[in-house]
Amino acid sequence: MADLTLRQIRKSYGSVDILHGIDLDIKSGEFIVFVGPSGCGKSTLLRSIAGLEEITSGDLCIDDEVVNDVPPSKRGIAMVFQSYALYPHMTVYENMAFGMRIAKVSKAEIDKRVRQAAEILQLTKYLDRLPKAMSGGQRQRVAIGRAIVRNPKVFLFDEPLSNLDAALRVATRIEIAKLKESMPNTTMIYVTHDQVEAMTLADRIVVLKDGHIEQVGTPMDLYKKPGNLFVAQFIGSPAMNIVPARIETAGEVTAISHIGANKVTVPLATPASANGTEISLGVRPEDLFIAAGADYLFEGTVDYVEQLGEVQLVYVDIGQADLPLVTKLPGNVEVKRSATVRLNANPGDLHIFGTDGCSVLQPQSAHGQTGPRL
Amino acid sequence: MSATVAVGRARHVNVWSVIARTFLYSFLICLGVVVIYPLIWMALSGFKDNAQIFGDPFALPVHWAWNNYVQAWNQGVRGYVTVSVLVTVASAICTVLISAWTAFGLTRTKMPAKPLVVAIVLGGLMLSPTVAIIPLVKMLQALGLYNTYWALIILYTAFRVPFTTFLIRAYMLDLPGDLDEAATMDGASEGQIFWRITLPLCRPIIISCVILHVLFAWNEYLFAMIFTSGSDVQTLPVGLTSIMATHGTNYAVVFAAMTISALPIVIVFFAAQRYFIRGLSEGIGK
Ligand SMILES: Nc1ncnc2c1ncn2[C@@H]1O[C@H](COP(=O)(O)OP(=O)(O)OP(=O)(O)O)[C@@H](O)[C@H]1O
Ligand SMILES: [Mg+2]
Repeated sequence: MADLTLRQIRKSYGSVDILHGIDLDIKSGEFIVFVGPSGCGKSTLLRSIAGLEEITSGDLCIDDEVVNDVPPSKRGIAMVFQSYALYPHMTVYENMAFGMRIAKVSKAEIDKRVRQAAEILQLTKYLDRLPKAMSGGQRQRVAIGRAIVRNPKVFLFDEPLSNLDAALRVATRIEIAKLKESMPNTTMIYVTHDQVEAMTLADRIVVLKDGHIEQVGTPMDLYKKPGNLFVAQFIGSPAMNIVPARIETAGEVTAISHIGANKVTVPLATPASANGTEISLGVRPEDLFIAAGADYLFEGTVDYVEQLGEVQLVYVDIGQADLPLVTKLPGNVEVKRSATVRLNANPGDLHIFGTDGCSVLQPQSAHGQTGPRL
Repeated sequence: MSATVAVGRARHVNVWSVIARTFLYSFLICLGVVVIYPLIWMALSGFKDNAQIFGDPFALPVHWAWNNYVQAWNQGVRGYVTVSVLVTVASAICTVLISAWTAFGLTRTKMPAKPLVVAIVLGGLMLSPTVAIIPLVKMLQALGLYNTYWALIILYTAFRVPFTTFLIRAYMLDLPGDLDEAATMDGASEGQIFWRITLPLCRPIIISCVILHVLFAWNEYLFAMIFTSGSDVQTLPVGLTSIMATHGTNYAVVFAAMTISALPIVIVFFAAQRYFIRGLSEGIGK
């Protein structure tokens, strides 16, 4: 049981600021995933929570107690490293028992806990092996086992699956999800590059960029209602298409014009002052479909097709230099290169972003939420 | 036609590589003979008597006179061996532990002015022992350590710490740092990390350093001669010279004494050779 509170956490190396004031509340038992581009400070933030890095300013609280100066091992936190960091000269058993031996836990208790963890992680057969005689997936499980036996309140993972091959990643991802289910009171914080891991594992995702939090929310929240351009393009694969556009008529519903096609009307209220504002129109590849009637959103020529079997990615040139519109169409639709296609999307699936990159909220959910920021 | 040229060239290359290899092997064999033969000759001469040594220096001994070895052992070599073993072992342990601890500090802690400390420690490599002798004599006399084992143990340790630290530090730099972090998360203190994680992982280089130190301390002459005078605290190199002085004419006994003194080092080296090469190449070869 541990609530984690981050208050204005800053971290600098010398004069270089890495984290610029992170505020975050994590409830006990939550599964939080940090995502963001490489170098944005995910590992730094995780290591600060662990206590491996000292924070420059701000407060880190576990259960309302400030732990800034509490040594890592006293914070009730366990960490699984990307490289596993298993002690190469110790057997699996000794690796798992090390922390407890340091803490002078009784032999019987150590044995009980190690065997219990080994049972859960299917490592019983390997207890006497050295790490170098094990596969990547098995080492990964030992690293998790070493964390479990300490009975931590908070579990930290730094890209734990990045050294595994694709198939093993999927299997281990599911194991981690099950592990979380079996430890409902343990808070877990997980760093990853991988969107699928983030979407499938997280209760809430924290999107970081350049040491700032861009948005925090459930996976579906971030997918459906990205708070800004960055999150919109970061979550979802392939990334959301962004087309420059202009508000033609503001009002109860908003009429928008953009390059390459018709005026569209989206069910979103905008103030009259927004008339004529330059905006960005966002639409996800999977929300686009071939227009059936005369109504369409984009018209362009097919530039390139990537057939993936179940689906195909169609790159349509709508007159935006170097930036084709990516469309995800069912694999069985016949699309020819250089053909002209007309694409449409439900108005409810369109996203509008102001010039500052902030979302003007998604049309359907616009009413009753915070007003548009333009 | 190009085919014949290719074949011709292949044969050409082959011939040269065989010649090169033969040359290399014969060179290495010659080198081996040059190094090993004198040792064997010395050991064999220990079994002869003076007449045979001078009359027929390259023949095998006629009678295997074990007595020479027994005589050498009883007439002082035993004492010198004891002192040598004591000084060598004690200074080896001190040197390696101090160096490992220093290297750990230099590679693993957030110490201020680290480059400066590294420079100072490694600067010790430049210090020539001969330059420091007079102050050292005065110092050790003042401390009452002159003419004791301690003088040699302290001096050997002090003069070998920089080099040993240099080797161990190079090795530790290559050890992954996240092991330390994992141990920190497990609640280990710096001391526990050193003893239970870093030191065991440094075993190859530690063994190499022990061997290098043993080679040095066993054969060291200058300090041993200057800082010890009583025959009960003299090490083998110095002791051998006094044996030569007393048994000057009985060369067989002198050879036997020399053979006995060389034996332990040869055994140590062959026993640990595997680790020795590995530790050194992993530490600085990469
Ligand atoms: N010890 C250090 N000294 C100076 N700068 C550092 C140090 N450690 C990390 N940084 C910088 O901090 C920034 C954030 O690093 P961090 O490792 O947290 O990124 P990350 O989000 O985990 O990236 P990745 O996804 O590639 O692991 C990087 O720009 C990095 O260069
Ligand atoms: Mg990282």
